[in-house]
Amino acid sequence: MKSDELPDGLPPERLAPPAPSAHLMAAVQQMRPVRPRSRLGAFAAVAVAALAVPGWVLASHALRRDLGGLPRGWVIAAAALWAAAFAISLGAALVPARGDVLPAPARGSRAGLSAVLALLVFGLCASVEAPGLSLRPEDVHMSLLGSAGHCARFALLMALPCLAVGLLVLRRLAPMGGARLGLALGAAGGALGGLVLHFICPIATAGHVVLGHVGGMALAAALGAVALPLVRKR
Amino acid sequence: MDAEATEATQLMTRYCAGDAAAFQALYALLAPRLLGYLFGLLRDRAAAEDMLQLTFLKLHEARGSYVTGANPIPWTYTIAHRTALDELRKRKRARVRLTGDGALPSEPAAHVTGVPVETHQDQADRASPEATRQAVAALDRLPEAQKQALLLTKVHGRSTAEAAMIAGTTPGAIKQRAHRAYLTLRQLLSKDGEPAPRLTKEAP
Repeated sequence: MKSDELPDGLPPERLAPPAPSAHLMAAVQQMRPVRPRSRLGAFAAVAVAALAVPGWVLASHALRRDLGGLPRGWVIAAAALWAAAFAISLGAALVPARGDVLPAPARGSRAGLSAVLALLVFGLCASVEAPGLSLRPEDVHMSLLGSAGHCARFALLMALPCLAVGLLVLRRLAPMGGARLGLALGAAGGALGGLVLHFICPIATAGHVVLGHVGGMALAAALGAVALPLVRKR
Repeated sequence: MDAEATEATQLMTRYCAGDAAAFQALYALLAPRLLGYLFGLLRDRAAAEDMLQLTFLKLHEARGSYVTGANPIPWTYTIAHRTALDELRKRKRARVRLTGDGALPSEPAAHVTGVPVETHQDQADRASPEATRQAVAALDRLPEAQKQALLLTKVHGRSTAEAAMIAGTTPGAIKQRAHRAYLTLRQLLSKDGEPAPRLTKEAP
């Protein structure tokens, strides 16, 4: 048996189907026209809902005290990276490829994990402190884990609107590979939390950023991966 | 997009616009292949037909989720796949009623097509009963994920990317599962080093 051939006797590709049931035909006869959705509609709706709370937090909270002392290019690059992680992960979770109806689970998990990894590497290798202005965990009487836990909880909180609205949308679409798409959705919400923290958290050590900010994003991704299979419509 | 996908896309668009005749045409186009797929997964013609009706009912309820201009065929396979998985899970949880002497009740023997053996007429171009029996037995011994990958990519001609979306995994995993399915089938279908039964179907 060659590797691309099949044995005789496997189930046929097509079988003569029965006529549609009376129940099905009754539903069809009573149907009303529906407007098919657009590829980007769910993305736009979830993005607007997801951005509302972080937008309010940024507008109502004081920005980090060391912002003026940090290199402007680095501040913009880091913000762009967090924002890109949000947009790419959310797009992978909700936007189907051209010609498809459902988002691809493989693309979702790939985008979500890549976003977490990229920010992890950035946090490890490119964290910048403004001498005399940036804080360390001990400056606020916290341990590294304590401060990281505080920021991770905040990132998770910022991720909740994105997760909640995104889960509602994906629950209705009921794609296979819910964990992979949920991971991307959670990563998107977590990236949004990280973006807000980038502007308001004055603790700039690499350990804090990786554990607290990127860790919060990873937690949100894990929460999404667990939640979507649980809430999907049966 | 091939001609069948184009036709399905046009029918789905008309169906969403409220055209009941388009639903009938879409059913005629997709139901035979969906029934073949469901039967391959469930191995039970009656259950596969029930799941087919449920698949189209779910499609009807979800038609507002259709994306304008998209090929609906992989989507309908996804709905059928999920419906079949739910049925298989139900079966695992289900209790079996035994006969008075504690044995499993006998079921009427059926050909692979689901037609009762006594009424089934083997056609000249069909596999021999022995090859069918061996192939079905081997298929049933494959792990569920491998069986799905084999049915989707080889029997139903879905691309690796489409099969990955339908099964909710990665294209790499689909390729690996299909390859493992081949290896297992080859092992199961060759007896004492003899070659496996005659091979006919070719990969797309």
